[in-house]
Amino acid sequence: MLAQQILNGIVVGAVYSLFALGFNLIFGVHRILNLAHGGVVMVGAFAGLYAVLAGLPIWVAFLAAALAAGLLSVLIDFVAFRPLRQRGEMEFAALVSSIGVDMVLTTLAQRWSGTQVMRFPFDAFPISSFTLFGLRMTTMQLTILGVVLAVSVLLVIYLYGTSFGRQVRAAAENDRAARLLGVNVTAVYVQTFFISGLLAGLTGVLLGLAFNNVYFLMGEPLLLKGFVVLILGGLGSLKGALVAGFLLGIIQAICTAYLPNGLSDPVVYGLLFVIILLRPSGLFGDTVRNVRAVRQ
Amino acid sequence: MMSFLAAYHPLIDLLLLNCGCAFGQYIVLRAGAFSIANAGLTSIGAYTAAILATRYGIGLGGTLLCSTAVGLVVAILLSLPLARLRGVYQAIATLAFVQIVLTLALYAEGLTGGALGLNAIPKLVGTPTLLICVLAVFYLMAALDRTRLGQAFDAIRQDEIVAATLGVQIASTQVVAFALSGAISGLFGGLIALHTYSIDPNQFGFPMLVSLLAMVVLGGRRSIYGPIVGATILTLLPEIARPLSDNRTLVHGIMLILIIVFLPRGVVDSLRGLSFRKPRRLQQGVASDVPSA
Repeated sequence: MLAQQILNGIVVGAVYSLFALGFNLIFGVHRILNLAHGGVVMVGAFAGLYAVLAGLPIWVAFLAAALAAGLLSVLIDFVAFRPLRQRGEMEFAALVSSIGVDMVLTTLAQRWSGTQVMRFPFDAFPISSFTLFGLRMTTMQLTILGVVLAVSVLLVIYLYGTSFGRQVRAAAENDRAARLLGVNVTAVYVQTFFISGLLAGLTGVLLGLAFNNVYFLMGEPLLLKGFVVLILGGLGSLKGALVAGFLLGIIQAICTAYLPNGLSDPVVYGLLFVIILLRPSGLFGDTVRNVRAVRQ
Repeated sequence: MMSFLAAYHPLIDLLLLNCGCAFGQYIVLRAGAFSIANAGLTSIGAYTAAILATRYGIGLGGTLLCSTAVGLVVAILLSLPLARLRGVYQAIATLAFVQIVLTLALYAEGLTGGALGLNAIPKLVGTPTLLICVLAVFYLMAALDRTRLGQAFDAIRQDEIVAATLGVQIASTQVVAFALSGAISGLFGGLIALHTYSIDPNQFGFPMLVSLLAMVVLGGRRSIYGPIVGATILTLLPEIARPLSDNRTLVHGIMLILIIVFLPRGVVDSLRGLSFRKPRRLQQGVASDVPSA
């Protein structure tokens, strides 16, 4: 029973991890708390859904969702963040701007979908269950785990094994110094937003398939849970995001199983509050200097 | 005049409530604290007032006093741990606070009525009471503007290190800002409860948090007229332009982006900046004094 709960928690946690990876990539490089990330996830889910409804196979739907969300993310950077980057007061301004973007995305999606909860067609994804070490698992769960692990590995190879990744890390460390050393910082910015969007699009389709609903507000609870993951793992830390996502999934599954109904959310948000006070740099974060740093 | 007031009565009440809540958000932002806890504080005030008025039959004055006091105390307690944090970390911690309050309100059904909320709250508040409360808060802000405390708020917001160097006690000054914000939010939460017959947790969630932030950002974080202007524009705009009212959140979102990109200091502060700008000739003179490298 406990093992089964933990397994279910790990699968949900994998989706949180994927979400937090995309979010943290932007925070790590740009120091932007991008509240529109939930909205991008939602748009990705809709893109995947419409691709399936148009009769395309499911892997094309994944691709379409990732591409659509990636392009949207780059567009958001151009419209909402790029004009702010020229000025000093980035932190507050970017947060407000991203809230504005999120409102625009959810309203447009609400009008587009007519406020309905939409579903993937029944046969969109072949679901069969099997038993592994005495635990029941579905092909859906296996796919989620596989996609998340594959994406994480690719991201690590990209960031730590290629020249592009070195440029991204250089720009994250100090964009002016990177520019002096010949890094095309603008290209780095576009890349990070695009990759973050790709991850968000995949998150959206996986979420839509796993819970079998796609609706215009689906990004909001994910965003709030995402904050718990981000703080638990440390803002800007990719390793932290990955581990903390799984951790939150497990914590939540255990809370849901053993605590009275409705108490699991207060516990999770309480955890966020306590961690941000006691260890604001998170489990793996190296952000103490940023926390204590004074606003410019 | 009277018929105009009668026709737009609910709108005026809504405007006054929004102005008051916006002042609660304004005062912390002005003091350089990045707190978005006001939706949570407002809901605490609203639940306090609703429970006291419905279950214990306490009158208007006592109820509002209690909800103000509860908001004040909770905000002070919240500000103590928050003093350790800065910037986005403060924002996330206060967002977590709002979520804790709301999920507890959903959970504690015996006390708060859960998702259904509290209904059949006696309507004790009319437009005159709301107007008096908004004017009282505005007077408080105007008085604060002229004291050292108001200057300390501005100094911290502009540059915390400079403020500390000039002898401003950062921590205690921000506790005062939080306390004021909590008291104002608690008071207007109580007014919302006693004005609208029923309250439920979802009314105080993410959308409220966003719209409060939008009002203050739109109006301006420096001038005391900022929250009033912001609340007025965001409340009246959908009413004036009828076709826009279906797209209220869309308009809010686009305005938020445009304002932060083009008028980052908000409407009021940008206009003031224009009128106080030095004469053009003087600026040119200063520029030409600078040796050309």
